[in-house]
Amino acid sequence: MTAPNTPTEPIVTAAPEAARQTSIYSRILWMSVGVILALALAALLAWRLRPPELHGVLIQSPQEAADFTLMTSTGEPMSLSDFRGKFVLLYFGYTFCPDVCPTTLNDLKGMMEALGPKRAEDVQVIMVSVDPERDTVEQLSTYLPYFHPSFLGMTGTVEDIQPVASRLGIFFERHEGTSAAGYLVDHTAVVILVDDEGYVRMIFPYGTSGEDMAADLTYLMR
Amino acid sequence: MGLSTHAQKPTRFGGGLPLSKYWLLLLALPVLGALAFAIFQPIQVLPRIALAPGFSFTDQNGARLTSDDLRGKLVYYTFMYTGCDANCAQTVQGLKAIQQAVDEAGSSVPVEFVAISFDPQRDTPERLSQFATEHGLAGERWHFVTGDPAQLKNVIGAGFGAYYDQTDDGAFRFDPMYVLVDGWGIQRAFYRTPMPDPARIVRDINFITKELENSEGLNRLAYEAAHLFLCYPD
Repeated sequence: MTAPNTPTEPIVTAAPEAARQTSIYSRILWMSVGVILALALAALLAWRLRPPELHGVLIQSPQEAADFTLMTSTGEPMSLSDFRGKFVLLYFGYTFCPDVCPTTLNDLKGMMEALGPKRAEDVQVIMVSVDPERDTVEQLSTYLPYFHPSFLGMTGTVEDIQPVASRLGIFFERHEGTSAAGYLVDHTAVVILVDDEGYVRMIFPYGTSGEDMAADLTYLMR
Repeated sequence: MGLSTHAQKPTRFGGGLPLSKYWLLLLALPVLGALAFAIFQPIQVLPRIALAPGFSFTDQNGARLTSDDLRGKLVYYTFMYTGCDANCAQTVQGLKAIQQAVDEAGSSVPVEFVAISFDPQRDTPERLSQFATEHGLAGERWHFVTGDPAQLKNVIGAGFGAYYDQTDDGAFRFDPMYVLVDGWGIQRAFYRTPMPDPARIVRDINFITKELENSEGLNRLAYEAAHLFLCYPD
């Protein structure tokens, strides 16, 4: 390897020196790659574990929501418990409602679109009527599909609906006004989310956008 | 030379090994952070137990009071009747104690009181109003309300889970109870006693006030995390 006429000493010392040099460089390279990788992974983990930026108000109820049975817009009576396995969004409104209800139903439609077809399959929007006198099965079944084909309506007698609403924090009362459509109904305008196991998990205040509701639902569904 | 590179390879990987421990530690940091949050509970919140029932009642002034009117306020609910003879002293004492404790807490959030009478037959607005002034429980933050018997049973019994029953002589048997409801209409604390501990009321009001004062930006994230990790006081 080394020529016989050249002194061996400088070459012998130079070779390990050069090797040490390259090994230090490659070590630094490997270290930085490793550190960057680890940092990226840590950031990813922290992102996954971060507290979610929820838009609704999270409720950790130790008790399942009280079950109830009402007539649905399909013409068959159904219970809340029939929807186990699905995330149910309950909204208390009425079809003659001038502005608040259509706005919320539109937001819920936006939510279904934002969720995408796959996630939307596990979600059921139900509007429980606070005006059962005018909201017949026929009325609900023509009104709701205008927003989304999957939306269900529920109705019954005022005596049937009042306790259901009250248990879910909803107040409603007929309000004799001078509306062109006749009377109005005052009602609490929040959307209530019952999870796939039947627990009230969240309330969305009036005005929560469809994207925001979809984001919260996506977090709860993961 | 060939020997020397062979000798260096293991040291290079040997040098990498202790480093990988640091990488692992770095990776574990977020997990450890989450765990530490759950164990040491740097922030505590009152649990969001259940939705408080919705209602529409009539108050001591004959005006309508609905659950929606109380949104955005902290409310102490209790259930009583004014024809309570011997129990009355206890009821009045409890109501006064809760008012005093709320004043002591001095929250930046308005706190109101709703006493629901389960005796609508006798507790007319006039009688409720008289009861309120007689015991110094007057003012805008006091609401003595009652309403339709079916709705009362629904709200008090099913909604708040407080027992009451009328006996044959017209008197009522009931479990004295106070419930703290937040501005979202969510039940946050129960006191199943005729005489709630003032220290606990002050503590609970402080918990909710602090949570409300930190309901923006990063602080909100931390407080919501406290809910997710069930960081509840004892």
